[in-house]
Amino acid sequence: MVMAELILLTFIDTLVGHAIFLIYLMAVLDGRAVVRQLKKLPVLLLSPLTAACVNVLLRTAAPPAAKYIVSSLVIFTMCVLWTMWVWRLHFWQAFSAVCMSGIFQVATSALGQAMRLPGAYIAIFLPTLAVALLLKQLRFEASFRLLLEDGQNRHRIALLLWGMEFVMEHFMRMSWGVQQEYLLSYCISAVTLALLMAGLIVYLAQRLDTFQKMQVQQNIIAQQQLYERDLEKIRLEVRTFRHDYKNLLAGLSQQAEAGELAQLQAALAQLDAGFDRRLGEKILAASQIGNLQIPQVRSLLLSKLAAMEEKGVERRLEVLYPVADVGMDVWDFTRCLGILTDNAAEAALETDWPWVEVILLAQGGRVSLRVSNPWNGSEDPASFWDEGWSTKGAGRGLGLCSYQRILTVYPNASASASWKGGVFVQELIVEDRP
Amino acid sequence: MIPIYICDDDDAVRQQIQTALHWKIVMENYDMEVACAAASAQELLAAVEDGSRGVYFLDVELKDKSWDGFLLGCELRRRDPHGTLVYITSYGDLAWRTFQYHLEAFDYIVKETEQAGPSAARCLEAVYARLLDERRDPAEVFSFRTGDETRHIPLDEILFFETTPKAHHVLLHTAGSRVDFVGSLGELEEKLDGRFIRVHRAYLAALDKIEAVDWKRNKVRVGGRECLLSRAGKAELRRKLGGGP
Repeated sequence: MVMAELILLTFIDTLVGHAIFLIYLMAVLDGRAVVRQLKKLPVLLLSPLTAACVNVLLRTAAPPAAKYIVSSLVIFTMCVLWTMWVWRLHFWQAFSAVCMSGIFQVATSALGQAMRLPGAYIAIFLPTLAVALLLKQLRFEASFRLLLEDGQNRHRIALLLWGMEFVMEHFMRMSWGVQQEYLLSYCISAVTLALLMAGLIVYLAQRLDTFQKMQVQQNIIAQQQLYERDLEKIRLEVRTFRHDYKNLLAGLSQQAEAGELAQLQAALAQLDAGFDRRLGEKILAASQIGNLQIPQVRSLLLSKLAAMEEKGVERRLEVLYPVADVGMDVWDFTRCLGILTDNAAEAALETDWPWVEVILLAQGGRVSLRVSNPWNGSEDPASFWDEGWSTKGAGRGLGLCSYQRILTVYPNASASASWKGGVFVQELIVEDRP
Repeated sequence: MIPIYICDDDDAVRQQIQTALHWKIVMENYDMEVACAAASAQELLAAVEDGSRGVYFLDVELKDKSWDGFLLGCELRRRDPHGTLVYITSYGDLAWRTFQYHLEAFDYIVKETEQAGPSAARCLEAVYARLLDERRDPAEVFSFRTGDETRHIPLDEILFFETTPKAHHVLLHTAGSRVDFVGSLGELEEKLDGRFIRVHRAYLAALDKIEAVDWKRNKVRVGGRECLLSRAGKAELRRKLGGGP
């Protein structure tokens, strides 16, 4: 009986911490994911429950420090697993997100302790909500997501956040030994530390963003040079062609004078075919690329197409009308385009005759993008969109996931797909900005 | 009588095609006629009647600033959604896939010296065969607009409609596609009265595609996929299927 009571008390105690933690987690990640999957929410209760049980079971067997460490570890693991499940994140991404929310939560608890208010449990939710709203306003979520999605520094970020969380937990423990008169200073330093951490995250995200943009710009310059070289080749071809053309015309007029109709026709056909072979294809490719007037999009497509060429994937690009503007953030559109072309190339390479076709059509402010590829039909594509689908770990499934996530904020974008006759087609239509 | 329209600003080519098509129709005794051979888009558009289910031979490279072949195709699609579009081009490097996808263009012919006529006649044969096919089996279609384009999907291919996390967007599922468009399940339910059933707030399923109902787990299997089943949906299902526990 006493045991059950103890468990209940500890449970309620950790429950408040968890509620605050959840509010911060929803501010740090995309909170709508929780709202959409409310049925997954009760599972989170397992975490305080297990922690309470562990706490009570260990209450006599272990020193308080050990008890604290074990229960913290239990809570941490459960929260990471839950976050992975709800947001469909990698382990390290969930790890970082939990650390970040943990830092905020501990800072808030510190504040609550310093206040020593009657009913502090309730009072503590007010600053929590205020800070969470502030984080939303400052688009902290976007910065944080950017950092999480950067594959190279994922581990470093996770380590940094974990270290900080570690320090914060110790701060929290130290608060029990702080004398009343120093409690305010203690509290101020804990909160400042948390704020500094948030600032550092935003700063790192901004740096990463600039770095990525710079890389793309360098890419653009390199691709532009390639494009110019192509144009130069066309110019040279036209010059030589002009020379041949004159000779051919001279021959033709002679044949015409002599009335040799059959030969005349043959020569004309040869002329036509020669032009198509030598220049037609190049001019087509150059004019299609030239119609892509958004530098970022052009750069990305050129580099993706070049990568496909290297791997032996046949490509076709059609851009009938100039694409000068698209009804969403250009970088978001570029990311979508990158994901779709990567998926297409990857699936195409599994077939005997790999090809990828990209068609962009801009008409009156509306842009339609269509990426198609052959597909060997090994999996049911309908399951690609199911939760947590991915056969290759960090492969296609995740790409499709972030593609969907990018599009959720654009009501004017619709993403469709079809898979018939061994051809997989992904289509993205972006209407004019509302 | 199926009307045929030709639009090409090159007089010689237009004449060639018109003559070849005329001969083909007479020889094969097709139920068709060349209704208009126009030199400009305006002339053609003046002659086309709305919803005439015609066959159109259109020049891609019209020397008119406001009308090129693609835009003319768009306008014709608006007026005659079930017409057949065939394009005439002087280059082999046409952005053909764009025409196929966005205008459902049927075919294209390349105008080389003396070749346009025979190509057009061959093409007409294929068009006629397809039209015969369609007449034999007129499938009911579900039509919806995405922006300026109207899409058609055979009604009996649709498994179910589903709401998306984005407001006002609906996902249409068939065995081989998922199509995102702007709409609402309520409107669709009204429009497709009787053949579809609202099994859940978020799902509108084709009645004849429902394979199994899991009354305990609150799921419905539609064409191999799972939809959620609500209490109201269950009642509705029982009423329509006339049975169940």
